[in-house]
Amino acid sequence: MLLGIDVGGTHTDAVLVGAEGLLAWAKAKTNRTDLLSSIREVLGRIVPEAGAGRISRLNLSTTLSTNAIVEGLTEPVGVFVVSGPGIDPAAYSIGEHYRVIPGCTDHRGRITSHLDLAAAREHAGACRRAGVSVYACVGKFSPRNTDFEETLKELVHPQADFVTLGHEFSGQLGFGRRVHTAAFNAAVWRVFNRFADAVQRCAVSLGMSARVNILKADGGTMPLSMSRMFPVESILSGPAASVMGIMAVCDIQEDSVILDIGGTTTDIALFADGAPLTSPEGAVISGRPTLVRALKTRSIGIGGDSAISLVDGQVRVGPRRLGPAMCEGGQTPTLTDALNVLGAADLGDTAASRRGLNELAAKHNTDGPTLAQDAALAAVTSIRAAVIDLTRSVNDRPVYTIYELLEGKRVTPKRVYVMGGPARAMSGLLAEAFPEEVFVPESYAVANAIGAALSRPTLSAELFADTQRGRMLIPGLDVEESVNGSYKLEQAEADAARHLRGYLEHLRIPDPDALVETVEAQSFNMVEDDMLVGRSIRVKCQIRPGVLPGYRKAVGCRC
Amino acid sequence: MLKARNSLGVVFFPAFDWAISPTHPERQERLLYTQDQLREEGLFDVAGIREYKPDLARVPDVDLAHFTFPDVEHVVTNSHLVSAGGAMRAARLVMEREAERAFALVRPPGHHAMSVVHGTRGFCTINIEAVMVEYLRERYGVRRIAIVDTDCHHGDGTQDIYWHDPDVLFISMHQDGRTIYPGTGFPYELGGPTAMGATCNIPLLPGTGDQGFLHMLDHVVMPLLERFKPEIVINSAGQDNHFSDPITNMAFSAQGYAELTRRLGAQIAVLEGGYSIQGALPYVNLGICLAMAGVDTSNVREPDFDPERVKQEKRITEYTESLADQLLEYFTAPPALPKHGRVEGEWFVRDKEIHYDTDSIFERQLEKVRMCGECGGTVVIESRAGSDPVCLAVRIPVGACPECVKKGHEVFELGQRSRNYRRAMLVDRPGKSVKRVLI
Ligand SMILES: [Zn+2]
Ligand SMILES: [Zn+2]
Repeated sequence: MLLGIDVGGTHTDAVLVGAEGLLAWAKAKTNRTDLLSSIREVLGRIVPEAGAGRISRLNLSTTLSTNAIVEGLTEPVGVFVVSGPGIDPAAYSIGEHYRVIPGCTDHRGRITSHLDLAAAREHAGACRRAGVSVYACVGKFSPRNTDFEETLKELVHPQADFVTLGHEFSGQLGFGRRVHTAAFNAAVWRVFNRFADAVQRCAVSLGMSARVNILKADGGTMPLSMSRMFPVESILSGPAASVMGIMAVCDIQEDSVILDIGGTTTDIALFADGAPLTSPEGAVISGRPTLVRALKTRSIGIGGDSAISLVDGQVRVGPRRLGPAMCEGGQTPTLTDALNVLGAADLGDTAASRRGLNELAAKHNTDGPTLAQDAALAAVTSIRAAVIDLTRSVNDRPVYTIYELLEGKRVTPKRVYVMGGPARAMSGLLAEAFPEEVFVPESYAVANAIGAALSRPTLSAELFADTQRGRMLIPGLDVEESVNGSYKLEQAEADAARHLRGYLEHLRIPDPDALVETVEAQSFNMVEDDMLVGRSIRVKCQIRPGVLPGYRKAVGCRC
Repeated sequence: MLKARNSLGVVFFPAFDWAISPTHPERQERLLYTQDQLREEGLFDVAGIREYKPDLARVPDVDLAHFTFPDVEHVVTNSHLVSAGGAMRAARLVMEREAERAFALVRPPGHHAMSVVHGTRGFCTINIEAVMVEYLRERYGVRRIAIVDTDCHHGDGTQDIYWHDPDVLFISMHQDGRTIYPGTGFPYELGGPTAMGATCNIPLLPGTGDQGFLHMLDHVVMPLLERFKPEIVINSAGQDNHFSDPITNMAFSAQGYAELTRRLGAQIAVLEGGYSIQGALPYVNLGICLAMAGVDTSNVREPDFDPERVKQEKRITEYTESLADQLLEYFTAPPALPKHGRVEGEWFVRDKEIHYDTDSIFERQLEKVRMCGECGGTVVIESRAGSDPVCLAVRIPVGACPECVKKGHEVFELGQRSRNYRRAMLVDRPGKSVKRVLI
C-alpha cells in the first residue's frame, strides 16, 4: 500500500492507496510553525488503520523548503561566484557572504582566465570567521567545465558542513539561476535535514519500514536520501501534487486544462498529449528564478476566500484575500459567499453569506443575488482569460528551427478538469464560460494527496559533447568522459539514456516502467577556417512525470 | 534582480536547420554560441527583456519590397520568410507597444538583396529590413524612416531599394569599398535625383576601431538623423566589424558595439552579418541587447579582449576626423544630380550591372525614375539575368502624384504589348495592387 501526504499551506492531506483503490484518507489543519506535528497527526490516523507493515512507500510533499526560503528562515551561506565578463554578477547577490572570485570559463568550457585562488581563500577565511558553515560555489558555464567549482569545493570543504556546487543541479544554462539554486539549496540544507530526520524517526516510531520519497515541483519524486543533498528540489511541490492527482484519477489523454481552485488562488496547469507541461526554464521562488524543474503553472489571485469588491461599478473578485468567507465567520463577502447565495454551494452559515452580499449590494444600488451573479461571472471570466493567456504563451514559445516553426505542435485544450474546495460549486459556471468540456473528478478534495502517493521518480540529464575538445559531460549526473572525433549524435543519445538509467539504479530506485525520452538532440558541425573541426552535440533526456500505472486504475473515476 | 530601463523584445531565430552549404559562414552553427551566451547570462530573466518567435512573412509582404523574377516562390525559401517575418515581428512589438525596443536576432541576413531579385547575393536573398520597412508603412502608416547600417559591408541592397525614396534615410558605415565586398558605398552615392542626400555612405579605413566608429556616429550619423527627424530609427546590426571577424579587417569591439547601440538609440535592430561566431557574436549580441534595454554593459567584453591590440592607429584617427567634417557638409548640401546617369526627357536613366556572387548570376539593368518634382517618382526597371529573357518592373511609390500613377500604368501596359519582355511586374502602392504577368 502507498501512502501519500501533501502538507499544504492550510491543510495537510493524507491518503492510503492500495491495489483495490483509495483505502483511507485524513485531513488536518497545517500547523505552520511545526509541520511535523501535522504529519504526525495524519499518520497517526491512517497508519494504525492500515497496519504499519503493509505500507511499502511514503511519498511526502512538503512546503518546508518553500516556507523557509520565502520567510527567510534559512542559515547564512558562503557564496563563491566565478563570473568573468558579462552581466554584472552583483545582480545575483544573495545574503551577506556573497563574493565574486576572478576567473573565466567561456561557452565552450575553455578556461580563458585563471581562478584567483588568493581571493577565494580570503573569502573562505572571512566566512569562517563569521561562523558560516554551508557553502555554494557557482561558476559561469560550469556545466561546460566543472573545474572551478570543484577547486572551490576542495578549498572550502575542510571548514564546511555542506558544500553545494552549481553544476550538480542541471546541465541547463542560466548562471543567475544556478547561483540562486545553489545558494537556496545550501540555505535550507540544515533545516531540511533536521526535518527529514524527524520524519524518519516518526515513521519508525509508528512501526513503518516504508521507503520515503519527497515530491518535487515537476510532479516527480526523489528518494529521501537524495533530497538531503538537494533539498531545494522540494520547493513548490504542492501544485504539482494536485496536477499529478488529476492525472491519477482521470485518464487524461487529450490536451487539457487543470484548474485547482483553492482559498486564495487558482492554479492553472496544462496537459499536452496526456502529460503535464513543464516550464522550460525553472521555478521562481522569492522573486528569484532557479533551475528547479517545475510544471508549467500559472497562479491567479482568485479563490473561495477572495474578497468581492466594486470599483467604478465593476464587480471584482480578488486578488485580495479577506477570508474566511462570511459563512465561516468572516467580515467581508467572498466568492464562497456568492456561490452560497447562488445556491451553487451550501457551506456554513448561508444566511451570513446572504446578509453580506445584500449589505455590499445596497451600498452600490444593486441587490444581493445580482451582485453574487456578477461576482461569480467575474471570477470565471478572469480564470478563462488566464487559461487563454497561458495556452497562448505555450504556443508562442520560441523555437529554433524552421521545421518547428512551421510544423510545431500547438496545444489546443479539449477538456477542463477542476479540483479544489470550490470545484463542485463552480463547475456549472465554468461549464458556461468554457467551450471545452468541464469535469469535476469525484475524489477532487484529496486529489493532491493521491497525486503525491502515486507519483514516480523523475530525472533529467543534459549531455554536452565537444568532439574537438574531446570531452563529454552530463553535469547533473556527475559524468565526465573523453570522446574521440567520431563520437556522434546517436552515441550521445544512447549515452545520455544509459547514464540516466544508471543513476536511477545508483539511487536504488530502478523503475523498469520508466520511460526515458529524448527531448532534445542536436549536433552541430563546428567549422573553423572552412574546415570541419568537430561536432558540438547537445542531448537532453528525461523521465517524464507519471503515476504508477497499476494504481491508476484503482483510483480512477469516470471523468 | 536586473531590470531593463527600456523594455526589449528579442526575436531570436537561429535557424538551426538551415545553411547555404555545410562550411559556409551562413551555416547551422552561426548563432549557436550566441544562444549559449544569452542563456547562460540569463538575458531573458532580466525584467523587461523577453524572447519572441518570428512571424512568417507572406508573398504579398515580399512583393512590397522586391521585384522577384520569375516569382517569389522560385527565389525565396521558408528560411527567408521566417527571417523577414522575424524582422516584422520586431516591428510589430514596437508598433503595438509590447516593447519599447526590439531586436530581430535572426538569419539569414538581407542587406545585400536589391530591389530586383533573381537569386542570392552576399548571402542575402530578400532584404529583411526592407520587408519590415514596407510593413511599417503599409500596416502602421509610418512615413519617415531612417536605417543605419553598421555592418562591415556596404548595405548595397538596402541602398538600391531606397535609392529613389526621399522618405527613407539610409546611412551605411562600412569598410571602404576599395578593400572589400561589394566594392561600393562611396560618399558620392547619394541617392537618385528625387532623393539626393537620403542615401549617405561613410567608408572607413581598414583597422578602424571603437574610437573611429563612435566619432563618425557622433559627428555624421547623429546630426543627419537630427536633421531628417525620422519617426523610427532602424539599425542593420551587422557584427562583422569585430576585430576577430574572419572575412573583414576592422577593429571594433563588443564594448564599442554596445556604446554605439546606446548612442544611436534605434527602436529596432536587425542582425546582419558577423562571422566570428565564437569570439565575437556571443559578446557583441549580449552587448547590443543590454544596451538596447538600457542595462549596464560595462562588464561585457570578449575573454581575449586586449585594448592594445585593437587600438586604432593615429593616421586612422586623423583620417576619420577629417573625413567626418567633409562628409557632413557634403551630405547636407548634395549636388542636384547623381554622379552617374543621364536625363532622358522626364526620366533619369542609369545602367547597372549586378553580380550575384552566391548564386553566380550576372544581371544587367536599365533603371529609370520619373523626375516629376512632386513625389519620389515612378521607377521603371528593365532587368536581364544572364541570358534569361528581359523582365520589366514598375514601381509606383508610396505617396506618388497622380501623374506618376498614370505614367506607371501606361509603361506597364505598353511594356506588355511591346513584346520586349517575358515577364512584367507592377507594384502600385497608392492603388494597393501588385500585378504579375507572363507574356
Ligand atoms: Zn557584412
Ligand atoms: Zn510624381
